[in-house]
Amino acid sequence: MFKSGLADEVRALPGGENLEMCYSCGTCTSKCMIQQKLEPEYNPRRLLRMVMMEMREESFSNPTTWLCSSCDLCYPACPQQIHISGVITAVKKIAVQNGQKTPLHTAVVDQQTCVACGLCAEVCPYEAITIETRKLPYRGSIPVAVVDPGLCMACGMCGAACRSNSISIPADYSDENVVESIWKWLNPEGAL
Amino acid sequence: MTDHKPKIAFFQCHWCLYAPEDQEWVDRRLPDNIRLIKVPCTGRIDPLFVLNAVQGGAEGVVISGCLPEKCHYKEGNLAARRQLQEFSSFMDYIGYDEARLRFVWLDLQDRGRIQRELADFENQLQQLGSAEALAARQPLEEGGAHE
Amino acid sequence: MVDAARQPLIEVKAYTEVEKVEGFVGNFKVTLREKAKYVRADRCNGCGACAKVCPIEVPNYFEMNLAPRKAAYIPMSQSVPLIYNIDMDACIHCYKCVEACGPLEAIDFSMQDKIVEEEIGAIVVATGFSHFDPTPMEEYGYNRYPNVITAMEMERLNNSAGPTAGSLIRPSDGKKPQKLAFINCVGSRDKRFVESCSNFCCMYSIKNAVLVKQMYPNIDVTIYYMDIRTPSKGYEEFYNRARAMGIHFIQGRPAMITEDSETHNLFIHTEDIALGKVVEHEYDMVMLNQAAVPQPDQNHMSSVLNVAQSPGGWFMEYHPKLRPMDSPTDGIFFAGACQGPKDIPASVAQGSAAAARASRVLHSKTWQIEPTIANVWPDRCVSAQGRACGICERSCPYGAIDYTQGKAAEVITAKCHGCGACVAECPHDAITQLHYTDAQILSQIRTLLADKPEKKILALRCHWCSYGGADLAGTSHFEYTSNERGIKVMCSARMDADFIYEAYRLGAGAVLYSGCHQQDCHYITGQVIGAKRAKRLETIFERMNMTPGRFRVEWISAAEGDKYARVLNEMQATLDAMPEADLLAEIERLRPEMAKRLSRLPNIPGVQRALDHTQVVVNTILSREGAQ
Ligand SMILES: Cc1cc2nc3c(=O)[nH]c(=O)nc-3n(C[C@H](O)[C@H](O)[C@H](O)COP(=O)(O)OP(=O)(O)OC[C@H]3O[C@@H](n4cnc5c(N)ncnc54)[C@H](O)[C@@H]3O)c2cc1C
Ligand code: SF4
Ligand code: SF4
Repeated sequence: MFKSGLADEVRALPGGENLEMCYSCGTCTSKCMIQQKLEPEYNPRRLLRMVMMEMREESFSNPTTWLCSSCDLCYPACPQQIHISGVITAVKKIAVQNGQKTPLHTAVVDQQTCVACGLCAEVCPYEAITIETRKLPYRGSIPVAVVDPGLCMACGMCGAACRSNSISIPADYSDENVVESIWKWLNPEGAL
Repeated sequence: MTDHKPKIAFFQCHWCLYAPEDQEWVDRRLPDNIRLIKVPCTGRIDPLFVLNAVQGGAEGVVISGCLPEKCHYKEGNLAARRQLQEFSSFMDYIGYDEARLRFVWLDLQDRGRIQRELADFENQLQQLGSAEALAARQPLEEGGAHE
Repeated sequence: MVDAARQPLIEVKAYTEVEKVEGFVGNFKVTLREKAKYVRADRCNGCGACAKVCPIEVPNYFEMNLAPRKAAYIPMSQSVPLIYNIDMDACIHCYKCVEACGPLEAIDFSMQDKIVEEEIGAIVVATGFSHFDPTPMEEYGYNRYPNVITAMEMERLNNSAGPTAGSLIRPSDGKKPQKLAFINCVGSRDKRFVESCSNFCCMYSIKNAVLVKQMYPNIDVTIYYMDIRTPSKGYEEFYNRARAMGIHFIQGRPAMITEDSETHNLFIHTEDIALGKVVEHEYDMVMLNQAAVPQPDQNHMSSVLNVAQSPGGWFMEYHPKLRPMDSPTDGIFFAGACQGPKDIPASVAQGSAAAARASRVLHSKTWQIEPTIANVWPDRCVSAQGRACGICERSCPYGAIDYTQGKAAEVITAKCHGCGACVAECPHDAITQLHYTDAQILSQIRTLLADKPEKKILALRCHWCSYGGADLAGTSHFEYTSNERGIKVMCSARMDADFIYEAYRLGAGAVLYSGCHQQDCHYITGQVIGAKRAKRLETIFERMNMTPGRFRVEWISAAEGDKYARVLNEMQATLDAMPEADLLAEIERLRPEMAKRLSRLPNIPGVQRALDHTQVVVNTILSREGAQ
């Protein structure tokens, strides 16, 4: 069963230190809202257990690894004072290093319109956005916002902050979808 | 008091209702005059979303999110607070009564509070009268179809 | 209690506080405050006429404030002795009670607290425990949701002599609940509040659930738990009976309780571990089985009695396995939960044991103590010359040293346990310890290092742990280096820095400083003192650039024979790895440094003479070795 030292790797990362202290009480899982609201398979307690049991691949592909948003509701409730999101972030980091991709619809930048003002980078709670110089068609070498999909949690704050409508999250919560749903209701005939 | 049911745009963050019963009510049993617009986080609400709703004819706007320190995205709702509070004074300035915009920050243990808040808000809007006072406002070009 | 009050040789002093404890085993002088009851014990017949007429009602502490009592009251219906009491904080001085008492004239508003002093031979402390208040655990809403109550409140509601005469009702509307839940480990096994397990909550929550189920078979009862701990005789069987009765057990620690603000019904949110799913169940009433914590005045009592406290705050026993009912102070004993949470059978067993121990004291004309006690040479103590010091007093784990500036410090022999902390700590070498004098130990060191000291490893071991570890290594045939030379002292607290300097001055290859792990120390905090000194020495030697590994500090229990052998073999390896010339050069380089720190040695009484004698032995050894 013990193939490699995943638990050791996690413990070595900041935040992962107290992994082995978990006595599986389940407080974190029930304090967290993700299982109820989004993903029935979400379970931080089980992820910690899987890491302790060296279930490497299973841990990397587990939704818990990707969906934890580090809100830390569970941390003050954990009777063993484990910084659970710290552990999960450590697992995610190792997963990213091992080439695993996030299942989230992470933010996308329209590099043709971005003015590199940096507002998005400032509001991003995950420090997932940096301003980097890129060579772009029509625009030449120019600084633009770049999103690290390994850090982005798709909360959409950047989209709300951007003044040039150059960044947003795709799918359900895109600007177009939200505005359209408002207009459809208010003006059933004359939607956008 | 009138029977007029004011149109309310209700922005709800994905995470702020802990009790499954409350979420079920919001998802399936919301009265017709209230429109639910789900967002991942109140921080996702672009002021333009609110402006769109108001220009389209919404008589009140409710924004419900998690308590400040309990945001699912660490600090998204703090940004929302800053941004939207500023925005509400702008609305006031252009003649849209500040009382037509309500923020509800829900704690995990506030079971059944959202129903009370919405009922109370509706009551408040009824007392303010219908939003005809906003007739002065011009529809946005691309918003078009209003009247 | 009633039996105890009837027994002619037992005097019950109710409503009395211990203010001061002086003296020592067999000869304690205890100062008591007999608090004024404003009712004369010799006249009150317990009829209760005063309480009937008293117009004042205050919350009744005994009923967990679920019911009122009068300002003229008895704490509970089975109070012993049955004498009423007037609560002066609540009394409005209407004197209705005086009238009601009539010709008995038992009520006396002029009564005052009385301070009495008693000669006491032995003391049994049985002050019990207190309960964690779950209010700070916001997630459970105690004090906010009326139908969330604590286990103690449940005990009163379930009690036929309680405020509801034993009928179970919920506080919000007085109705009989249909669905009940108990939550275990509220505050206990929780590093945010009380790290330890409270020992009896699993069992009493099952007991309360069974009681409810027996009385009202239709009520749905659920216990939320992390683990069910049933270690004593018959407990697991009781747990099984509860399951067979249809009581539900859900493994999972609830993260939160929410409340419907209209019905005041409660919803418990938990992960049902067996399902791996978050579930929400509705209840009429929820009981929090709160952690057991030390009494709020435990710190105060510990300084009054001069007994130490364990890390959780409970009173600390002499030895956790061998002498759990003795305090480290002779003549003071513990019974029950004051020493750590325990249930009634365990409390009774410990109480009986403590009583037996106490009667041993009472029936002895003399009291034997360890002969290894400390003694002060008054002429060497700087306090006698008027200088401020008191280091010895601060180092003694037992408070056995009487220090007043201007007078030579004095060891109260009956209180001394002979750890030797003061002896090693005294910077003026003014204290000695019988059987472990500096002269004796220095002679041993000199003899052991007589020949080829650079090849030797001098091991200082404490009597209780590392000496036992070395012993076990031998009896278990764990092989370790034959270059080890051991010296035993009672405690690592006795391992004087001078011994180590002297060993290096004589040219020792390496020195091991070993004793008990902190929690195993036989002298309360002796190891702490020893460990602090060891730390200091480590820094000093580091600054001297001594090769790392030549001075080693290790805490080795009597069960760790393997560790003892391993540590010595590692030390041997360190020495082997060093070229001999380098080692000898280092010894020579450090010798003057060591000698500088030892200049006072010959002045210690007896040391010079002992060393002169030792020299004869050393010479003999050397001549014999040389002859070979
Ligand atoms: C809700 C609940 C239910 C329980 N049910 C059971 C059960 O069913 N079976 C079981 O075996 N155990 C049960 N227990 C455990 C049981 O209560 C303890 O084992 C027992 O009370 C310990 O007895 P004790 O005499 O050591 O302490 P306590 O019962 O706490 O008695 C200590 C006494 O000392 C007095 N005191 C404290 N400080 C001072 C002072 N400075 N001066 C003078 N007096 C002082 C206190 O007033 C108190 O009367 C239960 C515990 C709880 C919390
Ligand atoms: S709350 Fe803490 S101890 Fe309990 S399951 Fe989660 S991580 Fe483990
Ligand atoms: S930190 Fe992660 S696991 Fe914990 S409650 Fe927040 S989202 Fe859930």
